Amino acid sequence: MNTTNTPILSARDLRHSFGPTDALRGIDLDVQAGEVLAVMGPSGSGKSTLLHCLAGVLTPDSGTVTYSPANQAPRDVGGLNEQERSRLRLTDFGFVFQFGQLLPELNALDNVSIPLLLAGIKRPEALRRSTVLLERLDLGSMSGKLPGELSGGQAQRVAVARALVTAPTVLFADEPTGSLDSLASENVLTLMLELVREAGTTVVMVTHDPRSAAYADREVIVRDGAISAGYRIPA
Amino acid sequence: MNSVLLKLTITGSRSAYGRLAGIAAGVAVGVCMLLLLWGGANGLNARDDRGAWLRETGTPSATYPTPPSAAADPDIDPDTDPAATSEAPTPIPLTTDAVLMRSNPVEVFRDQLINRRDFAALDTTTVSIPGVGAPPAPGEYYASPALQQLIDSTPRDELGDRYGTFAGTIDDSALPGPDSLVIVTGAPEAEIRNSGLNFLVTGFTTDPYGGNAATYTTVLSIGAIAVFFPVLLLISIVTGLGAAERRERFSTLRLIGASPRVVARIAAAETAIPSLIGAVAGVVLAVLLRPVAAQLPVNGTRMFISDLTTGWVAGLIVVTVVVAAAAVTAAYRTSRAGIGPLGVTQSAPETLPRTRRLLPLLGGLAALVLAALLSRTANDLSAQLQTPLLLGGFAFTLVGIIAAGPWLTLLVSRIGARRAHSAAAVIALTRIQRTPAATFRSVSGLVIAVFVVSVFAGASSVIETRPTPTATPGLPQPTSVTSTISTGTTTTDTTSMKDRLEQLPGIRHATIGYGAAAFTEIGAEREIYLRAEDAPSLGFTSIPTTDVVTLDMSFLDTWTTTPVPLLPTPTTTFDRFVPVVIMVDTDGTPGAVDRARTALNTSGITGTPGTTPTDLELQSSARLVQGLAVLAYLGMVIAVVIAGVSLAVGTASAILDRKKVLGLMRLMGMPTSTLRRIILQEAAVPLLTVLTLSIGLGFLVAWLMITGIDDSYTLTWPGTDYFIALVISLTLALAAVVATFGLIQRNTTPTTTRFA
Repeated sequence: MNTTNTPILSARDLRHSFGPTDALRGIDLDVQAGEVLAVMGPSGSGKSTLLHCLAGVLTPDSGTVTYSPANQAPRDVGGLNEQERSRLRLTDFGFVFQFGQLLPELNALDNVSIPLLLAGIKRPEALRRSTVLLERLDLGSMSGKLPGELSGGQAQRVAVARALVTAPTVLFADEPTGSLDSLASENVLTLMLELVREAGTTVVMVTHDPRSAAYADREVIVRDGAISAGYRIPA
Repeated sequence: MNSVLLKLTITGSRSAYGRLAGIAAGVAVGVCMLLLLWGGANGLNARDDRGAWLRETGTPSATYPTPPSAAADPDIDPDTDPAATSEAPTPIPLTTDAVLMRSNPVEVFRDQLINRRDFAALDTTTVSIPGVGAPPAPGEYYASPALQQLIDSTPRDELGDRYGTFAGTIDDSALPGPDSLVIVTGAPEAEIRNSGLNFLVTGFTTDPYGGNAATYTTVLSIGAIAVFFPVLLLISIVTGLGAAERRERFSTLRLIGASPRVVARIAAAETAIPSLIGAVAGVVLAVLLRPVAAQLPVNGTRMFISDLTTGWVAGLIVVTVVVAAAAVTAAYRTSRAGIGPLGVTQSAPETLPRTRRLLPLLGGLAALVLAALLSRTANDLSAQLQTPLLLGGFAFTLVGIIAAGPWLTLLVSRIGARRAHSAAAVIALTRIQRTPAATFRSVSGLVIAVFVVSVFAGASSVIETRPTPTATPGLPQPTSVTSTISTGTTTTDTTSMKDRLEQLPGIRHATIGYGAAAFTEIGAEREIYLRAEDAPSLGFTSIPTTDVVTLDMSFLDTWTTTPVPLLPTPTTTFDRFVPVVIMVDTDGTPGAVDRARTALNTSGITGTPGTTPTDLELQSSARLVQGLAVLAYLGMVIAVVIAGVSLAVGTASAILDRKKVLGLMRLMGMPTSTLRRIILQEAAVPLLTVLTLSIGLGFLVAWLMITGIDDSYTLTWPGTDYFIALVISLTLALAAVVATFGLIQRNTTPTTTRFA
């Protein structure tokens, strides 16, 4: 594990509600740079809402989320405007979801290269970097395939490649193996964590699967909108 | 069907209501347009039927003795053909069941043609003039309301004095439309007989078309096809709205036990309900918009509101057919989508279009080329084949553009995708490459509209290719007004007329031409004699030095383009001649020209009404084509509006169907502006690709069709109307796409992509 004492993400008294339902009730959470954090909890506990708020997808009703990457001034994620948050998600954050959510018309290679094109990288260079990453994920021969032609595990690995191709500082993963069988889950998680640890990427992973959580450095349990427990997982 | 299942399907989410409202609104617009079009077609028929009596030509009013030589010639009618004799004709006397009618070929005010019929009848006549009843007494007239309004608002010496005393208005039942300029006057029998343009009429024809029937029905049918097509496209597009969202809901129903047949029936009912609401709303809308639609001028006149009435049977047919077609299509689409309990199990990638899609287009063009070639041969088979070939060729070309559109879209997107550099271009062009038919469908309405506009803009340009008369020595001057002189007119009469004319404001000079006999008389010759001093006012610059000069009567042919020379003659007086023509030189102002016409037409000594060289344009068959092209322009407006709505609906549908993926893009940090660019490019690529083809093909088809109708026509650049229409179309396309940007903002928020 490659952690420092400075939290890269720091949530303080985070509160968010959907109508009369309080989804988050004053959460305090620090995520260390390079740490792999698993957020666990039952359905409806607020773990996805926490992830949304940390990633700047949702603006919390109150409280702060401070993002402090190395060599940069800390930023209050909730205080950024929509354009700034979009930029932050594009350049500093990566996302992996339960279902790959790949663009069905694009082949694997193009799907992976899209974030680079959005970041202003020239297409030949974007395709080159994407090809390298797909090969690292054992998908070199699949680069020309459409999402519909890939297995669930392959599609999820393409989604991982897309999330990591911009070398994000923080990777947010929401049930990244929720739709996979155990063998495919293990394969995806192993490859994903191998890459993020190598790059020193911080990971916040929402999961309800203890086997997935076991790959993390630390886990927190969210229950009724609050963190009920936190454990450091032995290596 | 289980009502709970149906309720589950059509109720629930806000977007479901939005989709149903979209279907209802689209169908309402489509049905309204269909009914107005149907009414318009009825109205045109009704208008033609009412105006049919104006086509009555009657029978000759005199008989001609037959010389022995002519009796043997089968081409000469011994009783009615003046060529059959050299003796004076014998007038056929008026009877109670026949009236004498003079049909003026050109009764013009400003640039409007007035349908004038002069009648002389016995007091005891039983002939009834349509819209008038008994023929007016000499010196009285009946006018259409529009013409009477014109008469009342114009100085009498320019128009009103031509007709005498107002006796009443012509009933609407005998008028093509509320703007029709029709006048029925009473005149003494002798005056009409002397004019040489008189016929006996015992009844009035009810055949509305006469010789122009083929042209008329061809252009009308083409206009109808052109307008009907976008309406069908609109209805087809709106009923497919939100297909992806519906598939998810149907999957859920399959999961809880609904069979594929039940799901298909639910899909049918779900589409039928908003379609029915929309169709009924469309009928109401059509009734409300009828007065507005009647204001649109078609072929020079607006319609009576009652003309646009279709009747409840037509309304019922349209509602039933549209709702049934929408329901059956929805059921068919759903059953073909392979919706299983876990979603769409059989992923049906779009079959990529092949080159053979070009065949209908090529077939249509081939038919039009053949029609154009046949127009240059004159035989019965050619004439019979021409109209079907023109109509079939046009319809095939129209369908061919729709068929070839996806193939062309694929071709361009493939080339574009290889060269794309931005994320927006890669996403947009790759999607187009995978779904060229679906992508093209959203712009097909607009592409068709532009094609139709181009065809009719090209067809309308024929009238502009006719050279505008200019002042050329040896040809009638554009500012001159000419009348022939009736039989029996003396030099004193014409001299007095000349003096009166030259007193009128704006009249510069009047020239009397002399000849051996009045032009309508036997013994008339081609030479016209006039004073050399009058020649400059006729535009001649090269004038012989004799006192009297002569010219050929072809000088009076306003269509002639070959200058006629003035020739010297030893004659010094006109003693052995009679006046045959009066030519008035005006200052060219509309008031002066109409004043000259009025003075000539009311003089009682003219055989034909005052004519200017520009009057020819008002009578040409090109004018008919142009007049009917207005109908097509009307269709174009409808088509462009519908196409704009279709494009907006298609684009909205494309956003709604992909909201998860687009939401994901935004979550990944894609700015909304990039999403907008994707949507814009997805519309622009097929639009611009096929639009270019549409414009080119439109003019080609116009040329083929126009030369197919009459090979003497040529095409030129279209008027500014066309370019305005193009700009409006493209602006509308842009507006339609931009209007959906709000949907992007609302439906692609990062949270749209479900996290868990």
